[in-house]
Amino acid sequence: MQLHRERETVEEAGAKLVLIGQATPRHAAHFRRRQEIDLPVLADEKRASYRAAGAKVATLNELLGPKVAAKGLVSSIRFRQPQGRTIGHPAQLGGAMIIRPDGSVAWSHMSEDASDNASPAEILAALRDV
Amino acid sequence: MGIFGTASERQHPQPPGRADELGEIELPDQDGAQHRLGDYWKDGPAVLVWLRHYG
Repeated sequence: MQLHRERETVEEAGAKLVLIGQATPRHAAHFRRRQEIDLPVLADEKRASYRAAGAKVATLNELLGPKVAAKGLVSSIRFRQPQGRTIGHPAQLGGAMIIRPDGSVAWSHMSEDASDNASPAEILAALRDV
Repeated sequence: MGIFGTASERQHPQPPGRADELGEIELPDQDGAQHRLGDYWKDGPAVLVWLRHYG
C-alpha cells in the first residue's frame, strides 16, 4: 500500500488518512519506521475493525495462487520493497473505505485476494467524488 | 480452516453501508495512544486503509 505517500493529496481533499494493521502497537511502530510512514498506524490485534469493515479471510489459492504470486513479484520489483515477515493472521485480507461525516460509506474496495488492492489513484478519484 | 488459517471456502467481502459499528471501535496507535475510529470522520471524510499485514 503506497497511499501514505499521497497523504498531502488526501488532506488537500479535506479528508483524513488512517492506516490500520493487524498486530500490536510495537509491530505498528516497527512497520511505520521501516516504511517511513509519517502518520499514525493503528494496531488492531483482535481484527475487530477488519470484521466490522467486512474484510475477508482468504482461501489458500487466494493467498498463494499463481495470480497472487505473479502480482506480488511485480509489486516487489516496482516498489523495490520485498515483502517482509508476515505479522498477524496470514490469511486476513484488507481493503480501503471512504466514510462521510454522517457515517455513511461513500466507497469501498475490500480485497478479493492477496493481490487485490485499490491503487492510490483509484482511492483519490473516489475521494474527489465524495 | 485450512493451512495458515486460510478459509476452506471462498468468502466474499461484505463492506457495510454505514460505519456505525466501525465508529465505536477504539484502537491503539504505534505509541499505545487510543483512537476512536469515529473521530476521524466527524468533521470531514476519512480514508481508512486496512493493511493485509505489517510485513
